[in-house]
Amino acid sequence: MSGVDGGFEQEDSGPPALQGTLGARRRLVPYYLLSPGGLFLLLFFLLPLGLMLYTSLESGGLLSGGFRFTWAFNNYADVLGQYQVQFVRSLVYSIVVTVAALLLAYPMTYWIAFYGGRWKSSFLLLILMPFFVSFVIRTLQWKFILGDNGPILGPLKGIGMLPDGFRVLATPLAVIAGITYNFLPFTALPLYVALERIDKRLIEAAKDLYSSRWQAFRRVVWPLSLPGVFAAFLLTFVPATGDYVNASLLGGPGTTMIGNIIQEKFLVELDYPEAAALSVILMVAMLLLATVYARILGTEDVQRAAGAGA
Amino acid sequence: MNDDRPLVDPVVMQRALEHRLTRRRLLRNTGVGVAGFSLASLIAACGEDGGGGGGGGNGATSPADVFTGEAGDTLNFSNWPAYMDQAKDKDGNVYHPSLRVFEQRTGIKVNYQDEINDNAEFFGKIQPLLAAGDDPGRDLIVITNGRYFTTLTQNGWVYELDPALRPNFDQHAASWAKDPFYDPGNKYGMAWQSGITGIGVNTKLVKGSITKMDDLANPDKVGTGSVGMLEGDMPDWVMINLGIDPVTSGPTEWKEAADWLRQQQESGTVRAYYGNDYLPDLQEGNLTASMAWSGDVLYSNVWLGLDVEYVFPEGGALLWIDNMLVPAGAKNPVGAAQIMDFYYKPDIATMLTEWILYMSPVPETRELIEEDARKNFEQGYKGYANKLEATAKSPFLYPDEEFLSRTSFGFEEWTDESAEEWDSIFLPISQG
Repeated sequence: MSGVDGGFEQEDSGPPALQGTLGARRRLVPYYLLSPGGLFLLLFFLLPLGLMLYTSLESGGLLSGGFRFTWAFNNYADVLGQYQVQFVRSLVYSIVVTVAALLLAYPMTYWIAFYGGRWKSSFLLLILMPFFVSFVIRTLQWKFILGDNGPILGPLKGIGMLPDGFRVLATPLAVIAGITYNFLPFTALPLYVALERIDKRLIEAAKDLYSSRWQAFRRVVWPLSLPGVFAAFLLTFVPATGDYVNASLLGGPGTTMIGNIIQEKFLVELDYPEAAALSVILMVAMLLLATVYARILGTEDVQRAAGAGA
Repeated sequence: MNDDRPLVDPVVMQRALEHRLTRRRLLRNTGVGVAGFSLASLIAACGEDGGGGGGGGNGATSPADVFTGEAGDTLNFSNWPAYMDQAKDKDGNVYHPSLRVFEQRTGIKVNYQDEINDNAEFFGKIQPLLAAGDDPGRDLIVITNGRYFTTLTQNGWVYELDPALRPNFDQHAASWAKDPFYDPGNKYGMAWQSGITGIGVNTKLVKGSITKMDDLANPDKVGTGSVGMLEGDMPDWVMINLGIDPVTSGPTEWKEAADWLRQQQESGTVRAYYGNDYLPDLQEGNLTASMAWSGDVLYSNVWLGLDVEYVFPEGGALLWIDNMLVPAGAKNPVGAAQIMDFYYKPDIATMLTEWILYMSPVPETRELIEEDARKNFEQGYKGYANKLEATAKSPFLYPDEEFLSRTSFGFEEWTDESAEEWDSIFLPISQG
């Protein structure tokens, strides 16, 4: 950075005194530019984060006058012991969701990127369309579509293709399908950006070198799209793990995810310290997993992926 | 960039936390707790308003001080969905006739919000405001007797009412609405409506007849994955049906109820544990049977003509009362007092009952509904007249003594300890 500054100073032909103030002002410019974002993060991310950590160490109850800060580290042990099942379930669901979303989105975005032609942006808009409808409304529609006697299962039961007691709602399948559907655009967009960047002539070159279509994909397209896959995985996996809307609307007994527990702790039990402790654990777990994942894929890919995701 | 310019200024952060700490200490001394981390309380703390009203926490404000002077111009009334009479005007806009009468008579504009879907959830929404002593943004709220009612009254988060301002209540309220055990002398609340938690049955989908709680754990009758349970009500409700009085129950009895709930879960009949939104699933046939609130099912049956029937279980049912409360810090308590008493006028209460089909705290509504039925019959609106007649005859709206003796209120001795024990026994069932 200082090299760039030096370069500017050489070009500057103003009087020495003015030169000094200009230089100082110029050095401050990046901070001016950063300050709105920085302030935003300070107010709406770091401060709440600090308060969450603080709350997670409180104890007490609403009926006896509120919660007090007591370094109550046992909150963490308590919730970890009590909610292991839901933690593990959330991770499993989320991995299944992310893999399913990648399998669905990759061919779709591949086709748009390579064969979309001048309709590319229209196709992308189609992928984004569901985002114009509220998350909850979309999920409620699924509930209607998948209803036990709804437009799909009803007729199938009517002609005897399905037994009367068959249902999709209130099963893990419904929850996983719901999350996959809701987060598909998060998977598709980074994939598209990565695939769109690939120079089509590379595939021609591969073919010139006697590679089959499959070999060209495996040795050229796939490696070049990896940063997109990485970003897509993170952007889907992290929010999917914390999701609670799908499990509460489409799930049944035995599909509760950790997001539901946190929501319930906050809003039904009003046990703010334990809710905060659970949130901290979830956040740390996600950070750890993402870091390990980044290590495995290599830092260079992460940077490229960040570029692709942006 | 230069490392000596961190984005987060530790001094600012430290100061913010200190402010919060100071305020917490202050609130502790006045007996008002701050719970959770709300930006609202933080901002209040930074404003150094020294408690500004303090949420009325120390109970120093007497009802006469709060309920004096003229009523404000607007009244913010928060209630549950489908808990107010509705009609459409000529242009097709939905309005609430009884509220319109109130507005015409008093000149107060009512901002009616049906935003309460769940006692706990709504409590969680307003609690940070109440704890911080901020304007709760509502002048009148409706909360069911039980845990959150108790929490609100014990923390001084609702105003004590002025008994001088409720002549209609004194004259017309039912005996059960006066001086309820959870609120002696109606110190804080007046009943809005009351109801019973029983069983809603989709008569087309069940096999055989559903008469008792155990039927909800019998896959031969209700099928698998098709029974709805109400998360908040089920502990009390199961206890009642096991022959236990929830009011005097303790952890031993709670565990008995939990055992039944686990057996039911293992039977495979349960579809979901609902907060409050079981009704669409029952109406659409996703549920064969469900724990249900009387008015919901009666409405679906009488006015929507659906194949759902309300069953009072052999073992008994849970009785509850929804109460109007004035949150501390409300801007228009006088207006709130006026509208509370307004709904105890028999003709107004009748408008409400004919539409929502819950148990009215004004018994005189029964005769008025029958009178309406006669009038409509004479004018040739036979269908409507029959529906009104059915409403007036329904034991779920106008229960007799024998009927009421088979209902019971829920557990009421709420403390932090009992709440924690209760949650640790019952929540793992619904959170499986």
